[in-house]
Amino acid sequence: MNRTQLTEKLKTIITPYANNIQALETLEEDTDFINDLNINSANLVDIILDIEEQFNIVIDNTDMERMLTVRASLDIIETKLSTQ
Amino acid sequence: MIGNDVVDIAASRIESNWKRKGFLEKIFTAEEQEFIKLSPDPETYVWILWSMKEAAYKVYNRETGIRAFIPHELACKIYGISPQEYKGVVTCRGGIYQTTTTITNGIIHTVAVPHLLKDRKVIEIPDNVLKDTYRRPYIINRSGLRIPVSKSNHGKCTKVVAFSEHPVL
Repeated sequence: MNRTQLTEKLKTIITPYANNIQALETLEEDTDFINDLNINSANLVDIILDIEEQFNIVIDNTDMERMLTVRASLDIIETKLSTQ
Repeated sequence: MIGNDVVDIAASRIESNWKRKGFLEKIFTAEEQEFIKLSPDPETYVWILWSMKEAAYKVYNRETGIRAFIPHELACKIYGISPQEYKGVVTCRGGIYQTTTTITNGIIHTVAVPHLLKDRKVIEIPDNVLKDTYRRPYIINRSGLRIPVSKSNHGKCTKVVAFSEHPVL
């Protein structure tokens, strides 16, 4: 899966939790889950669990710490997938 | 520095499923999970502890400038329960934050302050909040001074708090 396909898949995961539809439509790597998409921080946990389930990877606490933006999430998913 | 966090229980039931597999493990330490499991009302304790973490994180974030999703590192202990409030302490990377949690009409509200400021009185104030370039909330008092505040919104509830010695009104 290339970066564009990963981004699309991540966007699908994020969509049910995003409260700013405009920011979701213009989603890019710099998009911030909380500041831009107004995602409730408790739902960050759901996003992380959804990513684990859909990509079949494990996200530990150290990875989770950085998962506040699209870019950081894509980096972590890519790294996990490449070491499988 | 002050932090607060609101959980509207009705909204949390729509937005979150705390019974989802892995949910509690991602947020809470083993000790906190045990505390929740053994409590008479797990749902309420999930959100009390969550609001303690969120409120303390806001103080930590404003003290250090560090942004991170670190629920596990914000370790909570509740040491005093009275009909009016839950007194707790949250530790995070060497910082110690004192918390006070109240539950009124399905709204959980936690206020966190640094340990050294634990005796300062905190008051709720109207929502005239502005944000600086670092997204830190403040209000302008009658003398034109910037007073740091904390604001939290969830569901139908918004609360703004500040230390009372600031001439806010």
